[in-house]
Amino acid sequence: MTAWKKSYARAAPWFLLPALILLSLFVVWPLVRASLWSFTNADLLNPAQKQWVGAGNYGGLLADAQFRQAFGNTALFALLVVPIQVTLAFVLALWVNRPEPAWRWLRVVFFVPTVVSMPVLAVLWTILYQPAQRTEMGLINVALTTVGLPTRAWLHDPHWALPALAFMSLWQGVGLQMMIFLAGLQGVPAELHEASRIDGANAFQRVVHVIIPALRNTIVFVVTVTTILAFRLFVQPYLMTHGGPANRTRSLIQSIYETTFLGQELGRACAAAILFLAWVGLLTLLQRYFSREDRA
Amino acid sequence: MKRLLPWVLSIAAALLFLAPLLWMLRASFSPETQIFQPGFAGGIFHGSWTLQNYADAWRRAALGSAMLNSLLQVAGIVSVGLLINTLAAYAFARLEFPGRELLFGVVVVLIILPVEVIAVPLFFTARDLGLTAGYGPAMAGLIAPFLAKAFNIYFLRQHFLTLPIELEEAAVIDGAGAWQQFWNVALPSIRPALATVVVLDLLTHWGDFLWPLMISTREETRTVQISLANLFTQPPIQWGAILACAVMATLPVLALFRWLQRYIVITDSRTGIK
Repeated sequence: MTAWKKSYARAAPWFLLPALILLSLFVVWPLVRASLWSFTNADLLNPAQKQWVGAGNYGGLLADAQFRQAFGNTALFALLVVPIQVTLAFVLALWVNRPEPAWRWLRVVFFVPTVVSMPVLAVLWTILYQPAQRTEMGLINVALTTVGLPTRAWLHDPHWALPALAFMSLWQGVGLQMMIFLAGLQGVPAELHEASRIDGANAFQRVVHVIIPALRNTIVFVVTVTTILAFRLFVQPYLMTHGGPANRTRSLIQSIYETTFLGQELGRACAAAILFLAWVGLLTLLQRYFSREDRA
Repeated sequence: MKRLLPWVLSIAAALLFLAPLLWMLRASFSPETQIFQPGFAGGIFHGSWTLQNYADAWRRAALGSAMLNSLLQVAGIVSVGLLINTLAAYAFARLEFPGRELLFGVVVVLIILPVEVIAVPLFFTARDLGLTAGYGPAMAGLIAPFLAKAFNIYFLRQHFLTLPIELEEAAVIDGAGAWQQFWNVALPSIRPALATVVVLDLLTHWGDFLWPLMISTREETRTVQISLANLFTQPPIQWGAILACAVMATLPVLALFRWLQRYIVITDSRTGIK
């Protein structure tokens, strides 16, 4: 090691300490606590007095109909959002990937909803989804009436509430995924396009045989991130439906929040959080597995 | 006809994406009785205009202090967080010390940890540290947990690694210490990456909901999103005021939109494929 490298190594602690102290205090320590508490019957109001209950909370959760329903709702939400959002984002990216300025404007338009905060959009879409009462109704029902379709009480209808949340969520998020795909498309070598054009491939064949394989890692990345985001669903059901109607929209994170602050069952809530983390970890491992390892 | 179709489709799609937001803006200026009228539908030219909703929202949601709290929260996280994370990222990229790879491995693992997993014990940690009592501590409680961020450290380190080592060797010959090296040479060279981190943090934390919901329970520490949620759930429900509050909560991010959009694209091309 040269002299300057040694002097630099001595400076390292000062560069690292602020971040490491904060990460330990506000990330690692709470994570350790969540893991430990998940094996106890800790109570929100008195977390110091707790007893070891082994895997009891985990067993209880897996057998709990409410928790299973919350997981099921969230999984259904993800199933509705992820395939549609990723496909739509991909199609939009192909659609606006042209050099003229007009297309740049369209890109911006698709991107606008993603910068608006979710609580704002949750409130706005609750108003847009307002059911028809006497002569009054929300904008969505106005639009449906205009084209001759029946109105619905979207957020109050057990069959339509979750799809309604999924629709506004993908309207909000699709622009960001589109941007990621656009960045990926810019990385597809022009020679690939040229070669396939010379081979006489039409636009559809080019997408299937050239673009999709070239964007494989981007697609896997977008699918994983969208899935994890979908499983973190909280603001929409919390503000728009309160988990109703008939618990049809209660999400996983919402049930953790309610188990903590309404049920005051801290140990159980921590067990649910750890299960959620295991799920996110599994999704991340799947992404690793499906990504092509052609990078350093 | 075939030339026209892409334009028609594009304009229809653009309307679908913009209509809800334009409607929000228009309806926030219209009297309560008009908002849900089928004939109104956000008409720009017909229907009357009023500022009453904004007055109501300002008063009932304490928008002045709520906006200030949100601005303080985001400014605190973005500025102090940027310094802390760039320092750590630089150490991981350029300073040699024992255990570096192991420590960095831990940071990388922490990237996938969603805040929802640790929110509940984090609440207790914040309470134990006294970050829930009084205005100042509660504001610190909104900020401190999100200063050091594993993803930002990882992302910034990748950018420090791309800098040519010759640049720094030249500075060493000039007698620069680690700090001058970091501050005068490395930091200015990764400006776009810094902007990306700022933009991502800004967007994320301006929209923060779960954590403020848990920790800023006192009225004077409410952020703008929590104020909006309160206005939205506490009777009497005034739709016009709620919409006005939603518009106010959106203005700051829209004001920075051009900038946000420019740097978020860079992010994704760099992080999209890690």
